[in-house]
Amino acid sequence: MSNTGKPVQIIMIEDDEGHARLIEKNIRRAGVSNEIIPFGNGTDALNHLLGEDGTGEISAGRQLLILLDLNLPDMGGVDILERVKANVHLKRAPVIVLTTTDDAGEIQRCYDLGANVYITKPVDYDGFANAIRQLGLFFSVIKVPEAQ
Amino acid sequence: MPISSEQFYRLNAALLVLGLAVLLTIVGVSLYLTSKNEGYFAQVVAIREVRSSTADLLYLVQSAETSQRGFLLVRDEAYLAPYDEAVAEFDGALERLEGAVAGFPALADDAAGMRELLKSKIAELARTVVLAREGRFDEAVDIVQDGSGANLMGQIRARMTTLLEMSDADLRQAIAAQSSAAAWLRYVTIAGALAILAMVAAVAWTLFSYTRDLDRARKDVEIANTALEERVRERTQDLIRANEEIQRFAYIVTHDLRAPLVNIMGFTSELEAMFEPVHVYLKSDADNAEARTKASAALDEEVPEAIGFIRSATQKMDGLINAILKISREGRRPLQPQPIDLAKLLEGAAAAVHHQASADGAGIRVESRAGTIVSDRLSLDQVFGNLLDNAIKYRSPDRPIEIVARSYRDRRGGVVIEFEDNGRGIAPSDHERIFELFRRSGRQNTAGEGIGLTHVRTLVRSLGGDITVRSELHKGSVFTITLPADLNKVKRSADT
Repeated sequence: MSNTGKPVQIIMIEDDEGHARLIEKNIRRAGVSNEIIPFGNGTDALNHLLGEDGTGEISAGRQLLILLDLNLPDMGGVDILERVKANVHLKRAPVIVLTTTDDAGEIQRCYDLGANVYITKPVDYDGFANAIRQLGLFFSVIKVPEAQ
Repeated sequence: MPISSEQFYRLNAALLVLGLAVLLTIVGVSLYLTSKNEGYFAQVVAIREVRSSTADLLYLVQSAETSQRGFLLVRDEAYLAPYDEAVAEFDGALERLEGAVAGFPALADDAAGMRELLKSKIAELARTVVLAREGRFDEAVDIVQDGSGANLMGQIRARMTTLLEMSDADLRQAIAAQSSAAAWLRYVTIAGALAILAMVAAVAWTLFSYTRDLDRARKDVEIANTALEERVRERTQDLIRANEEIQRFAYIVTHDLRAPLVNIMGFTSELEAMFEPVHVYLKSDADNAEARTKASAALDEEVPEAIGFIRSATQKMDGLINAILKISREGRRPLQPQPIDLAKLLEGAAAAVHHQASADGAGIRVESRAGTIVSDRLSLDQVFGNLLDNAIKYRSPDRPIEIVARSYRDRRGGVVIEFEDNGRGIAPSDHERIFELFRRSGRQNTAGEGIGLTHVRTLVRSLGGDITVRSELHKGSVFTITLPADLNKVKRSADT
């Protein structure tokens, strides 16, 4: 995954450290070597993405890909999705929702709000590893726009 | 007193029958009295007939005698005209009297005696007139002078006077009877009219009160109906809410239990892969430095990490299951309603956390105006403790903490308890989320499992109430609890 010059950062918002570790391992196995910045809660992630002032100017010029879990301890992942997609600087950054929820209404809602991909975490590890590795392969081919 | 429909029909029927009976009585009595009146009237007419025929007869006899005396005195035939008339009418008049008297046996004897006297008198008059017409005036005058004629006339007059007096007496009696009958008729009519009026009034009253009762009953039914609909709506709302909550609960539980499961399965698989270099090393030559390095890296770094994740995942699962059990147990604990002085209970809860609050140099104010509530003490204690704990835990770092715990009665008699703080506040999108199991809001700078408010809500709802939150980020929050004033009533209506 590359772009004009700057490397793409993967923002991983995932409260479960174990999940985060497993996701990272499997993305690496797919040959993706981009920097992965993990966040264990929504507040810190939003601070990183939108900055302390909440305008998102801090992300201007960054090339970001966001991996988002919906169930966070401090706020709903949907709220983060909403704020990212409503932000003028971040709205084009691809957001991949990666969560255990397979509720049809939730999936619809995420796509309505502008999620680019929705992936359900399989409980069995083979399925999980396979899904993440394919996602990693997907990362290696997609183009990520630069944030405005 | 309300009238039942059966009573109403029976009462009305009885009144109608009574009215009919009174009416029939009045008619009967009137007919009887009228016929009696007619009898009295006929009697009066008959007595009058006796009286007038007696008077006529007396007049005729006197007229005949006067005419005879005039003729004998003047000896002029012209004076005899009244006499002739009287004699001509005499038989008719006598028969009339006898006819009139026939109805009165008491007078019959008098009348019979009189007939003889009258006949004698007329005969005496005829004898003198015949003599005088023959020119024998002196003989005729002699007959008059012997006084027998005058004597007869005196007897006749006396008898006639007696008869008149008797008939007068009878007449008075008959008239008195007639007027008394008329008076009776009047009294009976008036009494009957009054009775019928009273009955009409009674019927009107029963009709009125029955209609009024019916109207009132209909209104009561309408009110009950509205209340029932309202209750059905409330219950339906409660059910929908409970159902949504259960779905949400099931969703959260499955999701949250699944997350550590993914870790356990994932790191178990990873472990297998991690032991691969160890196997390789064990099977290889002992001095294979590369294999040894890989194996030792796996054993020293990766394996402990994986085991650590598995352990923390199982611990997390255990914690989750315990939390779910705790809430489930709380929902099944039998409630013990008892009168509780809210002011005391709130002050007690405030005192329990006082050392934490006053560390910042501010405190908790209790304004309890709701008085006494009948509820479960243990539940309320836990609710208050949890809310005060939260208020202190999530205080704003910029200002000294200020908490107000107040209670009052709402318009429907329920009890409202509010916990107002000036803490860090809750974002609007999280107002519902904070009550959900294992969910928290805002910066996670304090320890917590995300169970407290779920627990509080479960407790409040099992007490028949509800809890809501109003909050503005960075300004503060108000948790509002509404509770029934008497838990016993709620339990009873929920049981039935």
